[in-house]
Amino acid sequence: MQKVILEMNHIDKSFFGKKANDDVYLRVMEGEIHALLGENGAGKTTLMNILYGLYQADSGEIIWKGEPLAIKSPKDAIDRKIGMVHQHFTLVNKLSASENITLGLKTKGYPFTDRASLDSKISEISTRYGLPVDPGKRILEMSVGEQQRVEIMKLLYRDVDLLILDEPTAVLTPSETDDFFAVLERLREDGKAIIIITHRIPEVMRIANEVTVLRDGKVVCSKSIGDLDEEKLSQYMIGRDLSTLKREERTGGNVLLNIDGVSLEEKGKKVLDNLCIKINEGEILGIAGVDGNGQKQLAEVILGIRKLGGGSIYLDGNRIDQLSIEERKNMGIGYISDDRHRDGLVMDMNLEENMLLRSERSGFLHHGFIDKSALKSATEHAISEFSIKTHSSGIPVRLLSGGNQQKLIIAREIHDSVRLVIAFQPTRGLDIGASEFVRSLLLSERDKGCAVLLISADLEEIFSISDEVAVIHSGRIMGIVRNNSDVDMTRIGLMMAGKEVM
Amino acid sequence: MAELMDIIASFLASSLRQAAPLSLAALGVAYAEKAGILNIGEEGIMLSGAFFGFIAAYFSGSLFVGIISGALGGILISMIHAFMCIKVKANQTIVGLALNFFTLGLTSFLFLLVFGQNTKLPSVASLNPITLPVLSKIPVLGPVFFSQNILIYILYLAIIVFFVVFYKTEWGVRLTAVGENPRAADSAGLGVNATRYVSCIINGVFGGLGGAYITLAQLGYFQEDIVSGKGYIALVVVILGRHNPVFILLSAMLIGFAESLQFSLQTMGIPLPSQAFSMLPYLIAVIVLLLSAGKSSSPAFLGIPYERDKR
Repeated sequence: MQKVILEMNHIDKSFFGKKANDDVYLRVMEGEIHALLGENGAGKTTLMNILYGLYQADSGEIIWKGEPLAIKSPKDAIDRKIGMVHQHFTLVNKLSASENITLGLKTKGYPFTDRASLDSKISEISTRYGLPVDPGKRILEMSVGEQQRVEIMKLLYRDVDLLILDEPTAVLTPSETDDFFAVLERLREDGKAIIIITHRIPEVMRIANEVTVLRDGKVVCSKSIGDLDEEKLSQYMIGRDLSTLKREERTGGNVLLNIDGVSLEEKGKKVLDNLCIKINEGEILGIAGVDGNGQKQLAEVILGIRKLGGGSIYLDGNRIDQLSIEERKNMGIGYISDDRHRDGLVMDMNLEENMLLRSERSGFLHHGFIDKSALKSATEHAISEFSIKTHSSGIPVRLLSGGNQQKLIIAREIHDSVRLVIAFQPTRGLDIGASEFVRSLLLSERDKGCAVLLISADLEEIFSISDEVAVIHSGRIMGIVRNNSDVDMTRIGLMMAGKEVM
Repeated sequence: MAELMDIIASFLASSLRQAAPLSLAALGVAYAEKAGILNIGEEGIMLSGAFFGFIAAYFSGSLFVGIISGALGGILISMIHAFMCIKVKANQTIVGLALNFFTLGLTSFLFLLVFGQNTKLPSVASLNPITLPVLSKIPVLGPVFFSQNILIYILYLAIIVFFVVFYKTEWGVRLTAVGENPRAADSAGLGVNATRYVSCIINGVFGGLGGAYITLAQLGYFQEDIVSGKGYIALVVVILGRHNPVFILLSAMLIGFAESLQFSLQTMGIPLPSQAFSMLPYLIAVIVLLLSAGKSSSPAFLGIPYERDKR
């Protein structure tokens, strides 16, 4: 019989009056992988940050190994053998793997550390669990997958009994994910408890024993994986059935965007390497790939935010790579950035003022002055058409939820004269309902004859709406496939990992 | 030949004397910056050290008491800065600038209060050189480096200690972690704010010593704004020296050389206003900074307060 190692009961936590956790409970056994499933903003990470001491719960109790637990800081958590790997890694870039792993520990001889003996202990743990880590390598020289292994090694070095992993597979290629899951299984066999925070249902089915589903800060289900299937889980997670998007096969018209041998160097490193793609009118081209392989640079080179190092870009046969950003946007390019807080909106301005930031402004201007009433009515039209939830068009966009902010950007960027939409991670941070809305909108733009460049790290998203899929790795296109019923996903995975595939 | 050697030796010695207050102050700044504290208030820390060092030496008659008081005077200002930056989470640049002007007013006011308007400046005997046996016998360099006052020996010792701490101990690793990624440091159970407070104390001690050097070792008197921009130059020295204690000394020597060169040029009777020569050290600082542009060694979280419960 397995022992209960962790219980969390009646956990409440509010941020600015909004309940992020509402009477939440969680029970985890020794030697089990427990999935904490839910959409973005469902309260999963909040709950785990409470357990890890980064936040303090407003009320509720935590029972760890049969005793009540008061955790005031991550240090307390680690002392009690609870460890967490955050979605955004907490590694110090300028330090080596080994220095990161032993950071905060008082080892023999402190403060004069015997690096060599620490390194050999690290190597020993890394062979035991099959986690290859080079102790002397600095974090800034590592791939994301390596960095994640360092994070996990940090916890194993401290001999934790419970590992909390926040969205661990989001940054991994499919084959890295396989290796990663093998490590998790070895840890489970070793008797460690693992909580894995995720919104990916297939992963839960594949690796977890138990699952707790959160929705809007409340627990809606806590069961063994044997009693559940993917469909039930998605119902719990979203609270309703998911309508699947219908995409009709079609071939597009003339080539609208032609990117011909574009290269770009940054800090002496090639971030775009002789990259060629073409998109036809009325087609969606999906760019698949692990984050940070040149996607951002590609989007910004097309827009003109970054100057390209070589090659040329044509829109409808006209060369555009020497034009200014505004000139390009005026030719009909709409841009949905992956970072709406930084590139998309001015958070302290209201909806109307943000609406005014589009390139095609003639409708809002009257003899060079802002036509307030036209702007207001256009904004209100967008609010109703895109069902943006807001009290009025005059409040700062900072007060809107992420999904509604994104809808506002889309309303601004996709107007009647747009011919090319660059959608870069358009559903990042959105819940499933809002994501569906965005995807169906991109599909309808395509049906109207727009060309759409969809850049996303989410393979499911790419394959749900793209007509063609190109895989990017290290700034190069590894291959382009037509998205039909016989797409070979293994091959896509290999290309994402940078393998040459015929 | 021997004459040339003499000139070189005298230039080196004078460069070192000019470099000493800069190096002392810069070491403290480098420590604080490594922990993520940006201290534009270094000028104020030095001025406070210069004032309290002088006044304590004057009334006690002991230069030792003067040195200790100088360090304490530095801590006084650096702790106000630390409190405003760490606890109140104020903008560190603004706090630093405010403290510079505050200290300028405070020291001038206290000086007038104590000594009144006087035609003759009150003064103390300045620190005597101590000649180290054996080492000072090294040809040319020996007398330059090992026949100096106690503060310069403190500087040598500090450079070695700082170097070992930064690069050879776990403390250096922790300091880097706190400055580069405070959240990571916090997750690893390090006290981010405690580390930063300690770094500010060290900043205060060495800034204060740098200031006291000016009044107790160089001049023997105090007057309004006596530090006259050396605190800012110390910040430049930190950047030039890329936070490395040894490079900091070398950078300070470079600025110090420019300083002593301009003194010599002023006395050579070249028909240019003296202000033109006074510009020289600053000009060199700007030129070297231009040449070393784009290779910042500053920590990622320099000047950014840490808040744990922030969403």
